[in-house]
Amino acid sequence: MSELTFEKIDQTVLETLKPPDRSYWLTVGILFLGVLTGAACWIYQILTGLGVAGMNNPVAWGTYLINFVFWVGIAHSGTLISAILHLLRAGWRNPIARAAETMTVFAVCIAGLFPFIHLGRVWMVFYMLPVPNQRNLWQNFQSPLMFDVVAISTYLTVSSLFWYTGMLPDLAIIRDRATGVRKKIFKIISLGWTGAHEQWRHYARGYLFFAALATPLVISVHSVVSWDFALGIVPGWHTTIFAPYFVAGAIHSGLAMVLTLMIPIRKLFHYEKIITVNVLENVAKTIIFTGLIVAFSYATEFFMAWYSRNPLEVAIFKYRPTGDYAVGFWIMVICNTMVPLLFFFKRFRTTILWLFVISIFVNIGMWYERYVIIISSVSHDFIPHAWGLYSPSIIEFGIMIGSFCLFFFLYLLFVKHLPSISMTEMKEAVGQGASHAD
Amino acid sequence: MPTEYSVMGLFTDENRAVSAIEAIKDSPWQLRRVNSPIPSHKISDALELKKSKVGYFTLAGGITGFFSGFLLAAFTASQWHLIVSGKPVIALVPFFIVGFEFTILFAIFGNVMGLIHQMQLPEYKGLEQYDPRCSGHHFGVTASCKAQDLEGLKLFFQNKGGEVKVISNGPV
Repeated sequence: MSELTFEKIDQTVLETLKPPDRSYWLTVGILFLGVLTGAACWIYQILTGLGVAGMNNPVAWGTYLINFVFWVGIAHSGTLISAILHLLRAGWRNPIARAAETMTVFAVCIAGLFPFIHLGRVWMVFYMLPVPNQRNLWQNFQSPLMFDVVAISTYLTVSSLFWYTGMLPDLAIIRDRATGVRKKIFKIISLGWTGAHEQWRHYARGYLFFAALATPLVISVHSVVSWDFALGIVPGWHTTIFAPYFVAGAIHSGLAMVLTLMIPIRKLFHYEKIITVNVLENVAKTIIFTGLIVAFSYATEFFMAWYSRNPLEVAIFKYRPTGDYAVGFWIMVICNTMVPLLFFFKRFRTTILWLFVISIFVNIGMWYERYVIIISSVSHDFIPHAWGLYSPSIIEFGIMIGSFCLFFFLYLLFVKHLPSISMTEMKEAVGQGASHAD
Repeated sequence: MPTEYSVMGLFTDENRAVSAIEAIKDSPWQLRRVNSPIPSHKISDALELKKSKVGYFTLAGGITGFFSGFLLAAFTASQWHLIVSGKPVIALVPFFIVGFEFTILFAIFGNVMGLIHQMQLPEYKGLEQYDPRCSGHHFGVTASCKAQDLEGLKLFFQNKGGEVKVISNGPV
């Protein structure tokens, strides 16, 4: 990082905003086809009815809710990196903060789609909004599902505003170097930012408040998501450990997704001097930490089931590793708790290929964690004659693929049109006092 | 013939910019503005800037948010008087969660409104007296002077190691 100057940072990042080549548009096109596939599946479901999904009695919560929790989880480390690490003054966050914040915004948008999809009759979604109506119907704010509506919409609003505010000085940098229509657009969206001392005085303070408010929010949001489950009396769900366990899992998956996204971007955009191996190594070290918390949580769940002597809890925790969803369970355990332990070895956390491969394993493991929690408990609850099995239908697969394509589609559009690294924060990290020109 | 001029000294070194600011404070010239690519504690200290008042907007938003959230939940519950899970109709714990989320949401709204109000954005006229290099790697120190002091101010910035730019030929 010592080789970097202010000019080099601007040049490197602005280089990424030059018109892309055909391979970029080809990739964007393929992802858009994936998005269309997902949209077509959703339209088919709306026209035909929710029965086209694989959900049944007793498994009424399937991949839609799994993906909802998965994407909310992915969204979490963006705020962790941008807010919590900002408050802790961790310098290694600066090169990846913008990418992580963007990941948060897109992931929350996609997460927010799944309750709509799961509703079936999506046009009734306004029932969840406290809008005065002639039948005097109001929401039940004692329900964790209403907590969720409030928490997720707050999180989306806050993370979007945080993202835009953080980008303001960078938008001015682009404005000052752009020409034509592009200059006009960036002039408007940078709001006339000039970096005057009066602006910085208020900006620095406001940004600190953003970080300070986003930190409790990020913890509350995934706690609220966990209460969707924990406030039900279903065996395997009804436990007080869920909130911290979900928060740790969310950060675990989000950090893995940061690696999955940043490693290809680093290579494609020649960010090697900005996103150094040291930065990626620090993410890997944090993944060890979150992986150990997740492992401890898994073990605690089993311990509590055994210690409580509650036959229903004992039954569900025997069922998970040995029953119909045992494959998912062991994928979850291996990918989330064992594979990240490889990061204890310096070779694994400093080799780009290993970092990428392990991040993919953690992503898969975290998806399966939600699969195991949601499906195994409701398919095997109180009364044996009510037990059942679940497998996603092709429509659910289509919508799931569409959601992943939508995420990467939006992300690809972002990296070529807006600064994927915060130039201003990088300049701050490089240091003040020295000469900043080449 | 203008009676006052604004002159910007452009520095690639933050310490030199700070040194120029300190010297202008002890001179007959008027320090108008400092533009920098990064927030700088050294510049803030040299300018003896007061703490921003954005926090008051944030606080006001947060307080409004808590009561809005809690009262919204209480109002909707009071419309039906249904007992849910044995809890009181106006249940403190679940409604506190709604109140908490609204606290954060409204505090952020307050924060954004405070930023807009205090920074006076959007403000596109400021761009006319601005050098685009200040968003890159230059620190711009702008001072104004009487017409007869113009050469002296230019020389001052040059001696401090800065590049000189006369940004306004009209009265300031």
